Amino acid sequence: MDSHHEWAAAGDDRAIHFTGNWREYLPIAATNALLIICTLGVYRFWATARQRRYLWSRTRIIDDTLEWTGTGKEMFIGFLIVIAILAPFFLFIQFLFPALIVRGKAEAAGGVLFLFEIALIYLGGFARFRATRYRLSRSWWHGIRGGSDDPGWNFGGEYLGRYALVFMTLFIMFPWATTRLWNSRWNAMSFGPLKFHANLDAEGLKARWALIYVAPIAAAILAFALIATLGLSGPNEGGPNPTLGGAVIAVVLLIYIAIPLATLHWYAKFFRNAANATKLGNLEFGFGASTWDWLKLFLGNLGLAIITLGFGLTYWGYRNWAFMVRHTRIYGSVDLGDLTQSTTHAPREAEGFADAFDIGAI
Amino acid sequence: MIEGKLYDGVTAHPHDVRVTVEDGRLALTQDGGWSDRVEATLLKRRDAPSGMLRLGRTDLPGWRLMLALEAEPELAGLLGRHERYGRWIDRIGLVPALVVGGVLTASVVGIGYIAPHWIAPHVPLSWERNLGTAIVGDFGDIRCRDAKGQKALEDLVEKVSPGATKGPDAIKVAALNVPIFNAAALPGGYIVVFKPAITETNPDALAGVLAHEIGHVRHRHVTEALIREFGIGALIRLFAGGVGANAEQIVSLSYTRDNEAEADADSIAALKRANISPKPTADLFTHLSKITGEERGYSAEFLESHPLSGKRAQKFAASFNPKAHYQPALSGAQWDALSDICWKRPEKT
Repeated sequence: MDSHHEWAAAGDDRAIHFTGNWREYLPIAATNALLIICTLGVYRFWATARQRRYLWSRTRIIDDTLEWTGTGKEMFIGFLIVIAILAPFFLFIQFLFPALIVRGKAEAAGGVLFLFEIALIYLGGFARFRATRYRLSRSWWHGIRGGSDDPGWNFGGEYLGRYALVFMTLFIMFPWATTRLWNSRWNAMSFGPLKFHANLDAEGLKARWALIYVAPIAAAILAFALIATLGLSGPNEGGPNPTLGGAVIAVVLLIYIAIPLATLHWYAKFFRNAANATKLGNLEFGFGASTWDWLKLFLGNLGLAIITLGFGLTYWGYRNWAFMVRHTRIYGSVDLGDLTQSTTHAPREAEGFADAFDIGAI
Repeated sequence: MIEGKLYDGVTAHPHDVRVTVEDGRLALTQDGGWSDRVEATLLKRRDAPSGMLRLGRTDLPGWRLMLALEAEPELAGLLGRHERYGRWIDRIGLVPALVVGGVLTASVVGIGYIAPHWIAPHVPLSWERNLGTAIVGDFGDIRCRDAKGQKALEDLVEKVSPGATKGPDAIKVAALNVPIFNAAALPGGYIVVFKPAITETNPDALAGVLAHEIGHVRHRHVTEALIREFGIGALIRLFAGGVGANAEQIVSLSYTRDNEAEADADSIAALKRANISPKPTADLFTHLSKITGEERGYSAEFLESHPLSGKRAQKFAASFNPKAHYQPALSGAQWDALSDICWKRPEKT
């Protein structure tokens, strides 16, 4: 037997596949929903574990599927740990804030709120890092897992600093901050002995970011032009014009649609660039989803939830994961003999922080 | 004899192995002469792609044995049941778990909703007073401090509830210079009236509102609401997320409907005792319930803490006795003083 068997990850066939189907997932979705309702939400940790176990086991990379070993119990305990840490803090603020307001100390209350927000942003960054680290530590392939030796405290600080600049520059620096944070986070991660290498920059992302600022203005100009033509040809001059009212609503709607669309357009490219800029050993990644693909995913999720009177919500996780896997490409090769077991420490608090702040890991 | 693929958890390299069952143990052999035996108690089923069986070992993380699903009957004796819903639920079965969970959840919510009503009267008043003082203090700059106005406000409280402003459990009433139409009972016997609730009403309606808030204080509804909010309310918010939003709404209203009815009954009785007409209060409630949504800035806050319905206004209206010789709640001079309670300070917004 060769001890150095090399598997070509590239080739005529794709290296990563999603092999699940919605019928197979239905019993999981249905029982998860029922159990969550009947337990006042406590079951959701176990529901997440079941969902991931299914999705990972239906994600095939080269010759074997992924395996999720995270448990509902550890996520539940992780959540309780985080709540035990944060609850006194939140409770204190909850009493301190109204106490200051009621005493007419609005400035002090504002200061407290400001510090509170800063702490939340720091913990938000920390949470995102820890969630990525936790997920890698519970994801196995060929009996090998991922992880990180970085506890993420510094990442929280970097996150806070970069976001401070983002806020101060009215979000103009956002592409710069997110790309750098992507690098910092992924460069701290590993799978087995292989380190992730992310070298993403804002190059090629700036134009689309500018579009987010331009889109609503363009939409407004377009709509005002429309109003001008409609307003002039309106039947009752001087009085309230119903067409004009409709046009104003149209402007607002356009702006509300233009901004999310432009943002989606940016994120589509961000994920494509991010995947291209990230490596794991000799493996390179690609991500092929266009803005239109993302839009179809979100509209599909929304439509499914509406048509099924809410039950479709239980398929969002499935659809999102399938979407990510289907658009991911892996190129290069991996030397199985060199892919040894990870020596990283696996975190115990699971996704408690990310859960407390309602943050995803991607 | 079963052909399988083994990952040792040390490298990602797969090893071809042959698997047999010997004396309740799993025997693994390889062409080169390597062999291993694994106790059944160490084996655990892991998730596998469809058509496959994946076994892990509880003592060696990353040790994985991949077999075709056809091998399952042969190994059945060695393997426990596959974990499905989670260990607790697997043990009792899905349907019993749903029933038990449903009953438990209903009980927790039910008890969390009802229990504060029974607990609140037993919470020492001094605790509530300390909490109230800690939170509200002296209200600082937003309090309207005109002495004559304050006197008139306290006179009005005394009128509907004689002796209420005296003693250790005195009602401490304060007018606040806040441009929202609202009045509220706070922990520790504090009652606050926001400026518009004075300037945009009349003495009789304000008497009705104050009597209602005094009712909340005397029946310990404030304590009850606090316990409910920090008990079951917090619990639901913690776990349920989206699913429990409706459940939370049921318990997180500051007062229950019963609380409101009780405070209303107190208010009606107090007005009757003080010989004050309940009609202005009825009119105020009717007016407030009608303008819901139209002038939210004016009514929203009051309606949020005191959900009004036409029925509540009707109860006040029904207690109106056309033959009675009602007295005004305050003299003209007193009402003038009260109306000016916030006048000394320029409005702060």
